[in-house]
Amino acid sequence: MTRDRKIYRLIYWIASVVLAAVLLSGFHKLLYPSDFAVSVYRFHLLPGFLVNPAAIYLPWLEAVCAVCLLFIPRFRPAALWIVLVLLVLFTAAIGISLIRGTAFGCGCFGRAADEDPLSWINIIRNAGLIALAVFALVARKKI
Amino acid sequence: MRRLASHLHQMKTTIRQIGLILFVSGFLAVLANTVHPRKIPWVQDWSHQVESRAKDLRIRVVPFSGAKKLHADEEALFVDARSETDYTAGHIPDAVSLPFEALDEHFEQIMEWTDSDQELVVYCSNRECDDALLLSAELKSMGVSNLTLFIDGFDSWKTFGEAVE
Repeated sequence: MTRDRKIYRLIYWIASVVLAAVLLSGFHKLLYPSDFAVSVYRFHLLPGFLVNPAAIYLPWLEAVCAVCLLFIPRFRPAALWIVLVLLVLFTAAIGISLIRGTAFGCGCFGRAADEDPLSWINIIRNAGLIALAVFALVARKKI
Repeated sequence: MRRLASHLHQMKTTIRQIGLILFVSGFLAVLANTVHPRKIPWVQDWSHQVESRAKDLRIRVVPFSGAKKLHADEEALFVDARSETDYTAGHIPDAVSLPFEALDEHFEQIMEWTDSDQELVVYCSNRECDDALLLSAELKSMGVSNLTLFIDGFDSWKTFGEAVE
């Protein structure tokens, strides 16, 4: 294996692990679906009848993607694509909320009512994660 | 040509795998929400939520963190919409008591707020009570424009250890 391929492999692996860790850090959404439903609702982006299905489904999608990223290498590219799309959607949702002036916590990594409200820092953090997912997908092609 | 075919094959595999991940996640979500001790209804009417009604009335809503910041800035006046008894038992420092049912008695005070464009942060006990929302709606109709509803209310203020008078 050439040195470049080793580096790409390392990028692919590290990016996958970091993204999986970020996804798993939102495990509270699996434990407290009603709190997450409130967070989804507070974005005011989905029609009411889709709020609960989204709040039930998204945490499981994230968990399954995290498991694929960590333990099922064959499914890693597919999981990376899903994570990338999710991150883009979440970032757009946060951006819209910020433009509208909504000041609630996003409910991404915690359920506490004293969670800091959304800010442009959330956008920057998500942009970093999007870049990481893109790096991983590009690195995968080079391996 | 062979490279293109290989790319197409890889793409097809990835799309199939994406479908499988979406399906497995859906299956697990349905299963979990069937047996979960804190399961939620699949469809819920959100239109009666205080926040939703506030949004319809175009009243600004802030959570605990937002209210904490507004209180620290010392520019906004906090208005307690709970009963006089609850207010006496404990309230946010410097908050004034204005129970919804006693609105008429405070007419002059409200007119002063309207004229001075004083920022008001109205609260009641928690997300479930609608005293603060009703009061906010009434104040708005009386001409108070700089109005914010502190949705998490006094319960969260106490829970997170903020000072109480």
